[in-house]
Amino acid sequence: MKHKINWGAIYLVIVFIILYLPILYLVGFSFSSGKTMEKYQGFSWTHYQTLLQDTRMITIVINTLIVALLSALLATIIGTMGALAIKRTKNAMRNTLLSFNNVLMVSPDVIIGASFLILFTVIGMKLGFWSVLLSHIAFSIPIVVLMVLPKIDELSPTLLDAAADLGASPWQSLTRVMLPAIAPGIMSGYFMAFTYSLDDFAVTFFVTGNGFSTLSVEIYSRARQGIDLEINALSTLMFLVSLALVIGYYFISKHGGSRKNQIVTVKEGDVQ
Amino acid sequence: MTNQVIEFRHVSKQYDDNLVLRDINFTIEAGKFYTLLGPSGSGKTTILRIIAGFDDATSGDVIFDGQRINDIPANQRQVNTVFQDYALFPHMNVAENVAFGLKIKRIPKEEIAKRVQDALHMVQLDGYGEREITEMSGGQRQRVAIARAIVNRPKVLLLDEALSALDHKLRVEMQAELRALQRRLGITFVFVTHDQGEALAMSDQIFIINDGMIQQSGTPVDIYDEPLNHFVADFIGESNIVPGIMKKDFLVNINGHDFECVDAGMKPNEKVEAVLRPEDLDITTVDQGKLVATVDTQLFRGVDYQIMVHDEEGHEWKINSIHKTKVGEKVGITFDPEDIHIMRYHETEAAFDARLDSYEGDDEEDER
Amino acid sequence: MKQQKIWFVVPYALWIVLFVVAPLVLILYQSFFNINGQFTFGNYQSYLTSNVYLRMTFNSVWYAFLITLITLLISYPAAYVINRLPNRQFWLLLVILPTWINLLLKTYAFIGLFSQNGSINQFLRFVGLGSHQILFTDASFIFVAAYIEIPFMILPIFNSLAEIDSSLINASRDLGANSWQTFMHVELPLTMPGVKAGVQAVFIPSLSLFMITRLIGGNRVITLGTAIEEHFLTTQNWGMGSTIGVVLIIAMFIVMFATGDRQKKKGGRAK
Repeated sequence: MKHKINWGAIYLVIVFIILYLPILYLVGFSFSSGKTMEKYQGFSWTHYQTLLQDTRMITIVINTLIVALLSALLATIIGTMGALAIKRTKNAMRNTLLSFNNVLMVSPDVIIGASFLILFTVIGMKLGFWSVLLSHIAFSIPIVVLMVLPKIDELSPTLLDAAADLGASPWQSLTRVMLPAIAPGIMSGYFMAFTYSLDDFAVTFFVTGNGFSTLSVEIYSRARQGIDLEINALSTLMFLVSLALVIGYYFISKHGGSRKNQIVTVKEGDVQ
Repeated sequence: MTNQVIEFRHVSKQYDDNLVLRDINFTIEAGKFYTLLGPSGSGKTTILRIIAGFDDATSGDVIFDGQRINDIPANQRQVNTVFQDYALFPHMNVAENVAFGLKIKRIPKEEIAKRVQDALHMVQLDGYGEREITEMSGGQRQRVAIARAIVNRPKVLLLDEALSALDHKLRVEMQAELRALQRRLGITFVFVTHDQGEALAMSDQIFIINDGMIQQSGTPVDIYDEPLNHFVADFIGESNIVPGIMKKDFLVNINGHDFECVDAGMKPNEKVEAVLRPEDLDITTVDQGKLVATVDTQLFRGVDYQIMVHDEEGHEWKINSIHKTKVGEKVGITFDPEDIHIMRYHETEAAFDARLDSYEGDDEEDER
Repeated sequence: MKQQKIWFVVPYALWIVLFVVAPLVLILYQSFFNINGQFTFGNYQSYLTSNVYLRMTFNSVWYAFLITLITLLISYPAAYVINRLPNRQFWLLLVILPTWINLLLKTYAFIGLFSQNGSINQFLRFVGLGSHQILFTDASFIFVAAYIEIPFMILPIFNSLAEIDSSLINASRDLGANSWQTFMHVELPLTMPGVKAGVQAVFIPSLSLFMITRLIGGNRVITLGTAIEEHFLTTQNWGMGSTIGVVLIIAMFIVMFATGDRQKKKGGRAK
């Protein structure tokens, strides 16, 4: 028994080394005073200083954050409304709506990017900030729906009846009972939408014009020109941001998760 | 008549092609404990939801306090509900849950605080106000749900299978408490359950519902002693239901034997069903028995033995007795004329009452 | 009540029409136009008759198949081991964490690792195997793609493993099955929905990831995704790009149909 567990552990360690080696490698060389990722040249903050003085890069970081924050916010609003609407539909209609919802979830990024590019051209929209923002909203909506809908489904169907029974108008039921009760799902949805936007490369690459760029697109164009340790410095910072986001997300979903368990417990209690 | 709170006039409810309520008529008087009793899918919860306003009647009138309320939304009705799964708001603590209805009505803060405290006291949850719902046990959640409803001082409290999520011991405890609470508050309770024991124990009046219709209504004792039809007899308590022929008034033939009984008013030689409760059947010696039977099985149940026997014609009988027998033993079965209750096929409740009146006069009125 | 229902749906419905239906219709529509904007079946004709396109498609599917297979072979045992660990949620978090790091950065790391004087070659020289051309090879492309997809394969398999009621394993053992038989007859069949979900999550992106082919595969590897990007953004032949896009969408539906078991079950459960 013990013997077997050891093999499993060794295997897992190897998998984790493969998963993390490239990331640590990037981070490590960001502190190298050299110019390549070939030989570590001794500790230095040089690349971070370059990064901080790179106004083009800083503008792009700000643009990326604005797009991510705004698109996540709007996607969360529309997606939550969509989830509430889907909840009110019955079997066949619900399945149809969910299928439509999932189209963008399973579609390859190139297809989304290419088809959005055609769409913006057809309606005569100039490529740039607005086309990128709209695209990010569009591809983030389904994940919000998928994060919020289970929370709504999880709620006891009598919960809104109870609110009405106690005198709440439909609007009061929504704002005082429904939305607070599904808040963990809405928060998760926002976080997921935010990271989707931050991470996106392919769709943005298609729908951004010459004047506007996001981090992913910028990294791509710099990476095509070869190694630049400024990117390593940038990735270290992004790694830290991701780490913070993961911790934040887990804090939220754990909070939501425990609520979920609580509700499940209630349901199990009912069966007994 | 003056203190009736709720009246259903020819209420029907249809979901798609499914008729779940068929022409329901009843009145509910103020200050009494009513139970809607029936198996799942019988339509009892639908009646409750129509009273609360969560569902609309397809046709018919729902009268509340003399007003037709079919078109009044749930949030404007003077009834409150205790839900089967309690439907406590997960994002609010106990006090916030109880205060919800009052806050919606914009009642001043101090008064809310006081009424919440009173309500929690009423359900014996003093000092639990700041607890999260998740910290409460099933029985405590049940009490929170009750407090949240009664704090609004409804005219009618609706309870939808309110005790079914509790374990047996707690359920029995809560039955007594609910009954006491209803007496203390003096408001009408309408309780929905599929548990006949619960219904018999708590109610002033029971409506037996099956197949979207009220099968029988009356006090627990009336319904137990004089079930109207096969369904009611089978659903309430344990019973032996056997086909028979009403030879004439006060004489019924069951399986070829004539027995004296106390029912009358049928046509001569009418086919009927006879109900004999297992606890009314006594075991005696073979020569003293009205029927002779052989014991098949015997189960000890704590308070009594459940004995299954078959008579000489091979018909099975269920007997509950505090005396022990032996499996395989020949015994006599005896019972009194009033232990036989005769049911006519397809008799309506009104016809049943009329027939009873025709030969019993008004000596039935001594119940309560 | 009813009016509210309507205003709820409006933005979401608008989104479905504008960003789900319209783009799909437009890409199909565009595929019938040539580079000069004239209606034609020529794109499909040249796609179906040209050796270049067909071979590219075949290669793309073949690469995607290899990537999926490798990912699956690495991920299943990993998910299995993680599921047995005491703090499995923590280890799972460690698996997910890399997915939160920008795809481009992870790809970029491999440019350094795989380069002529990169760490891998330094290691190979150190152990006496000499240096090799690693970057811009098919193998490097497949490796990097598999690297990126591993968490997306581990996750659904882990979930389906974690869902298995432990009493089922006990029942199997109780009925005389050894651990290998239990795995083959109980655990593996029960985790097939997870495997299918994982295959779906890996195969479709593998057909279309164009930045990895560009950065790691050089211009040696051309997938459906790379071809679409090239037609749209380099040669500006949107018609042909859309035609390949339609092919990719069809491929996507085939994959979803083949791995669709999970969704059917999901729908069934929802009812």
